[in-house]
Amino acid sequence: MAELRLPPDFTLQKLVQAQRAFESVLGANKVFFEELDRTSYLDKFAVNDEAHHPSGAIACESVEEVQAVVRIANQYRLPLFPIARGKNLGYGGTAPVLEGSVVLDLSRMKKIEFDEELGTVILEPGVGFYDLYDYVQRNNLPYWLSTPGNSWGSVMGNALDRGVGYTPYGEHTKNICGLEVVLPDGDLVRTGMGAFSNAPTWQAYPFGFGPGWDQMFVQSNFGVVTKMGMWMMPEPESLMGMDVEFDRPEDLKVMVDTIAPLRRERVLTQSPSIGNWMRAAAVLTRRTDWTDEPGALSDDVIDAIRKQFNIGWWGVSLRLYGREEVNKAAYKILEEAMGNAGPMAIKPTSWVKGQPLEYTGWTGTPMTFPMQNVNWYGGRGGHIGFSPIIEQDGDKALAQFQRTYARYQEWGVDYQGSFAFGERHLTNVNAMVFNKDDPDMMAKIDPFFRTLVADAKEQGYGEYRTHLDYMDLVADTYDFNNNALRRLNEKVKNALDPNGIIAPGKSGIWPRAFAGERGQ
Amino acid sequence: MPQPITMVKRPDATGGEALYVEYCIMCHGPNGMGSGLLARRMDEGNLELRDNLTAEYVVTAARLGIGNMPSIPRGEVSDEDLQAIGEYLAAGPHGGGQ
Repeated sequence: MAELRLPPDFTLQKLVQAQRAFESVLGANKVFFEELDRTSYLDKFAVNDEAHHPSGAIACESVEEVQAVVRIANQYRLPLFPIARGKNLGYGGTAPVLEGSVVLDLSRMKKIEFDEELGTVILEPGVGFYDLYDYVQRNNLPYWLSTPGNSWGSVMGNALDRGVGYTPYGEHTKNICGLEVVLPDGDLVRTGMGAFSNAPTWQAYPFGFGPGWDQMFVQSNFGVVTKMGMWMMPEPESLMGMDVEFDRPEDLKVMVDTIAPLRRERVLTQSPSIGNWMRAAAVLTRRTDWTDEPGALSDDVIDAIRKQFNIGWWGVSLRLYGREEVNKAAYKILEEAMGNAGPMAIKPTSWVKGQPLEYTGWTGTPMTFPMQNVNWYGGRGGHIGFSPIIEQDGDKALAQFQRTYARYQEWGVDYQGSFAFGERHLTNVNAMVFNKDDPDMMAKIDPFFRTLVADAKEQGYGEYRTHLDYMDLVADTYDFNNNALRRLNEKVKNALDPNGIIAPGKSGIWPRAFAGERGQ
Repeated sequence: MPQPITMVKRPDATGGEALYVEYCIMCHGPNGMGSGLLARRMDEGNLELRDNLTAEYVVTAARLGIGNMPSIPRGEVSDEDLQAIGEYLAAGPHGGGQ
């Protein structure tokens, strides 16, 4: 159970007063300050169980309620930590950066407004991938979602943390078109064409007039997003592609160098992800099914895993979306290119509207089974990810892999790595699955993670997204001109949020009021 | 993979069942993470097919978290709704509407 922790320089008396104020605007049944509540809002995958304890939580069901609680938070200088659905597992989940913050739980806000002709939608924070999927199914809308491997969370929450899926709409933050935001002073703003009161184009044109603000509310603490506009992919006539396996670790180079130009030319418009043999093994099996040898898995065990699942050292799935005639032509290009790359196996797949659909990430079907990987080591499992952005280059990717793999060997952690294509970059996601009931393992996670960050920094590789524990560390690596970007972010933060009450410390952005907490 | 179960596939669901579909079936449906991991430890991995759950156990497990399941806070699912879900599962097994 979690005993009460207060924000810095805060008193219990003030907290109780703030709690009463929240109750007067929300009703007591939406205000949660008991010990059970504090426990339930902890980070389930915490590496450090002592950090990031909230003092309580409140649930809002409308924009007006959000404005009201933000005003109360200002009055008491009480930090709030907004969450959408709180399922950002591996990045902190429901927990705040700053201990003693009150979690602002927006999961009950679940409105969906859909423009059937344009394929755009306005979502409230509590709309989960399954909720949106249900809406599309129920209303027979000819649009596909783009879903992440953990689809339990909020569509908005995922996009606002730059989460990804696997269709051509897979870079979720790029599909954002217009936001409604409650600012830290309680003011309400709409971005883009939403700033024009009767514009019918809020979800059609992403820019509006003047500076574009949508990305300012992504991975940030400048306001509480209460609506997000988003583009959705029209249901394609045809889905065609191939699942390809490569035999050797060194094949990563040719895979990247073959796929990258196709992606840049937009022959491929989706974001393929090259992943290692662990992807299948960690989801479908446990480590004890294969070995009880300590340390990182040996080559013998890796061979056994590959044989069992009939997979390569690396695997990648390429998919074409759109008109059948176009896909057929593009497929020939893929077939030739991948054939020349020397794969171990190529398995073609194809689907045309009217045939039974596969319910996978390729079709934007929500799923949770990939999270079974947390059971790899048994016990109360969890995971954390180290995910730098690297160049879209085969030699560089191979070097990054070899360097990282050597570290996993050195630290005795089983390697689960992937290289996901953006249009001109690769995101190298490295998962560390762990067992919270193994103290020796837990003791090495933090120093191992810091080693990986330092290695990446030397190469010029920064993370795209990180856990609460590492927001300061990662923000520190963005150090051009003595961390000029952080200075800029904090000038903006202090201008918009003088009391520093919205998610202080998120992405390493600390308001003046809590500046002493940086790096704690 | 089977299609995920959402409300559109359970149009007649009300009360505890409807709440179960909205809040739980993502991980506890046939292809969900919860069902997969439970199946490693017991004969029946699908909660809706169990005949030995009590409402109290369900509420405790969900509120506190259990094993690899994160806790479900009150802000997400109220006490009333979680109780209804617990009672629905305690009245199992429920075979229909898959």
